Amino acid sequence: MSTASLYKRIVRRETHSSRAGIAITLAVLLIVVFAWIGTESVLEAVGQAPLLLAPTDLVAATLDAASAPVGALTAVAVVVALIGLVLIVVSLAPGRRGRRGAKADRTVAVVDDRVIARSLARTASYAGDVDPSQVSVSVGKRSALIEVTRTSGRQTDVRSIDEAVRDELDAYDFSPALRHKVKLSEKGTVGA
Amino acid sequence: MNSTNRALNRIVVFVIGLVLLLAGGAVAVGALLPDVQQTVSQGASDAKGPTTDALDQQPWILWVVAVACLVLIVLLAWFALRQGHGQTGTLLTVDEGSRGDQTTGGRLVIDAKVAEQVLEEALADTPGIVSVDVTAFRVKRESVLRVTANARRGVSPTDIRRSIDQAVAHWDGLLGTETPVVIQINGGLRSQMSSATRLD
Repeated sequence: MSTASLYKRIVRRETHSSRAGIAITLAVLLIVVFAWIGTESVLEAVGQAPLLLAPTDLVAATLDAASAPVGALTAVAVVVALIGLVLIVVSLAPGRRGRRGAKADRTVAVVDDRVIARSLARTASYAGDVDPSQVSVSVGKRSALIEVTRTSGRQTDVRSIDEAVRDELDAYDFSPALRHKVKLSEKGTVGA
Repeated sequence: MNSTNRALNRIVVFVIGLVLLLAGGAVAVGALLPDVQQTVSQGASDAKGPTTDALDQQPWILWVVAVACLVLIVLLAWFALRQGHGQTGTLLTVDEGSRGDQTTGGRLVIDAKVAEQVLEEALADTPGIVSVDVTAFRVKRESVLRVTANARRGVSPTDIRRSIDQAVAHWDGLLGTETPVVIQINGGLRSQMSSATRLD
């Protein structure tokens, strides 16, 4: 396998969820259920008292459930179907992990979106000469929103913030690439 | 980086979801249609006597159920425990041979610990990095180094990558060959608690 395709594979795996958490949770739940059924079966086969419910009673109860009141039966069935639907969606969704891959060279890099957001926030606060606490940045899949709260009584230079952020984003080689938008809030803070 | 079988994870989640959806859907639809509901509940109460009798009189059914449960438990436990492996302690092995890139007098094994210590030491004093961790993984029969760096708050990720690339270039010179390196730049809890950027 060439290094380029190896890097591509690794970046893909590092930026998307492995779905291990939900898969292990489901496996453990099923193990508990099967362990219980198995134990009850052995206990009944050797003639011991059941832990909770003997298999014979379990089968009888399941068959009785078919003639349970329609409302209760439908409600339970709908809940079960919805859980199933959620699991299907989870299994098919890409499961992005809030990271993006950089261009591969000698090495390849995977960067957390939070690092990008904090870096943009610092750039914006330097360029606009505002306190770092007055800048908040949110990074989505393809766009970064920079919200600046102006200092009351002072001009805030949105254009220089915009240019500084653009310069920083241009220096990035991450994919998916980011577009940015600078938003100046209507209200200002006092004494910052 | 690890060798988790992601396709299998998704297939397992999908199959369980499909079973629940189909079972829930069938019961809901069946319960709401009076004809179906009548037939099924009648059939179920007719079947109740024979099935409970069968379980009482033929205990081998219970043993079969127990063995089937055991097999399923083993399969599921294997599935749950095989997640997340793939780390390796050996970075590089050069076998004895006559070519230029081979040793002539024996077999050379380089431990992953060497790379970990050299790179961690080299990056320990980088201003933008709070902490760094190096681990070797086995991916597609190749050793890959993963350098995880926790970034100080507000530092540009490109600067951090440049510092790490320099350290990796030094390491390549030391090792004499290149192994794939994956850099992971995180902004986790440790970087949140770190003080904001100091002037470098």
